[in-house]
Amino acid sequence: MRRSGAPENIREHGMDRLFLNQLPPVPDLLSALWPAASSLLAESASTAGPVSPALVLTIASAISAIGLALLLRPGPRGVRLAGTVGGLAGFSILVVEVLKRAGEGDGGVPPVFPVVFGAIALFGAVRMITHARPVFAALYFILVVIATAAMFLLLGAEFMAFALIIVYAGAILITYMFVLMLAQQSPSGEQGAAWYDRVPREAGSAVIIGFVMLASLSEAYFSQGSQRFRDDIAARAEEEGALAAWRRLDAMPKLMLETAQAAANQAWRSAPEAERSAEKPAIASLVRDARGSSLRSERSGLEDGISVEVQFADGSMGLVLLPDSMRPDNSRQIGVDLVSRYPAGLEIAGVVLLMALFGAVILARKQIELGEDERRELAGMRRLTVDGEPGGAGGAR
Amino acid sequence: MNSMIAMHDAIPALSPTVLLGSTDAAHVNMALLMSAILFACGLVGFLSRRNMIIMFLCTELMFQAAALAMIAFGKVHQDISGQVFVIFILTVAAAEAALALGLIVLLYRRRETLDSEAWSELKEA
Repeated sequence: MRRSGAPENIREHGMDRLFLNQLPPVPDLLSALWPAASSLLAESASTAGPVSPALVLTIASAISAIGLALLLRPGPRGVRLAGTVGGLAGFSILVVEVLKRAGEGDGGVPPVFPVVFGAIALFGAVRMITHARPVFAALYFILVVIATAAMFLLLGAEFMAFALIIVYAGAILITYMFVLMLAQQSPSGEQGAAWYDRVPREAGSAVIIGFVMLASLSEAYFSQGSQRFRDDIAARAEEEGALAAWRRLDAMPKLMLETAQAAANQAWRSAPEAERSAEKPAIASLVRDARGSSLRSERSGLEDGISVEVQFADGSMGLVLLPDSMRPDNSRQIGVDLVSRYPAGLEIAGVVLLMALFGAVILARKQIELGEDERRELAGMRRLTVDGEPGGAGGAR
Repeated sequence: MNSMIAMHDAIPALSPTVLLGSTDAAHVNMALLMSAILFACGLVGFLSRRNMIIMFLCTELMFQAAALAMIAFGKVHQDISGQVFVIFILTVAAAEAALALGLIVLLYRRRETLDSEAWSELKEA
């Protein structure tokens, strides 16, 4: 099959390439498999009678909850395997149901990345809450953080994805590691883990509460109207996303003015020599409409697109088309939004961090100062090093 | 001055969405599902584990799930505020981690164990 129709000389040199060419590309393979799998599922659902989507979600949540309950208790290998299979089955039913609502499965290519990262996150989370050794639990949490950051990237939140990795995986988890080392217990019992790490506390009721949580959340998200979010997203097309991005920037007049000037300069440079004015247009100010916006999104006589209304230095008014390449990117939008819409929140976040810093220092300090004498005093015993000032009120500390 | 010429990008951005042909709706739905699942996992872990450090780790997992839901809904509404609120979530998570871990070290020194049952006299019954 590999050499079909290939001339002799190509077979010599281009073997690898030829072979790769004859393999169907991965998305083709998936799109071939996906309808078969989904039709199989739909068939099994139809033979079982009409099942309401909410019921399917609840049943899937129940299956995965049972799987998790089997995994939580320390048990023989077979039980753990059954738990894994149950959890995976519940998870895959949930995924198929949820993707059906996104309009996937009717011939389209399934979204590979979210499913893969979702599976990684699920694996990490389950291992984290079932692993007997705290250090490994913390490491599995890093796996969850990385998978979540990848999902952030897929959702177009680049800044938050990297901030998450830096802050969580880099800072918070390292702190956890240090505390685990500080509070290291001596290994006792089998597997080198303390008994309270191996035996869960009331696993059954915990799993039931988790199941109620998962079932109600998934029903709230996905059962009302089969394609709720798809319609929402379709209604807010790319155009509106662009407009929203520009609106963020419009909240910062100076930045907007600079951007408008840059756009005007770029348009001036790219215009033919004969048509353009002798010198670059100088923008004096933005022209605001009644709602305080200087953006004009309707057809402005230039071309379709978002433009900004400005007053030039010579007093004339005009529209400058804002090119897509100058649209503020994700981190710029976040920064502008943070200072223009949520300045109070930003300040309070700073205060919260400062207070946490003070709190941590005070917690640590108190512990260091609780020496032998204070302990003896609390227990009603005589101090060891008193001379003259027994239990000095505050001053001794 | 009205003769500005539009600049159009000739090549569309090559994102994973373009490569795999899947839609934003699928990404949003998967993110919401994962946020529900991660929150449930964190809740189960918080209720069933005895180790105080793991219990706080589970609250971090729930923070994570909330952040994922925020970003997914921000995507649905094409609003950057969802991502801005994740910054606040990160702030609170960092502050909470600093304080909670300080407290845990303090509690560990008192009882020489990380078992939360060691403090069960705080229970009513």
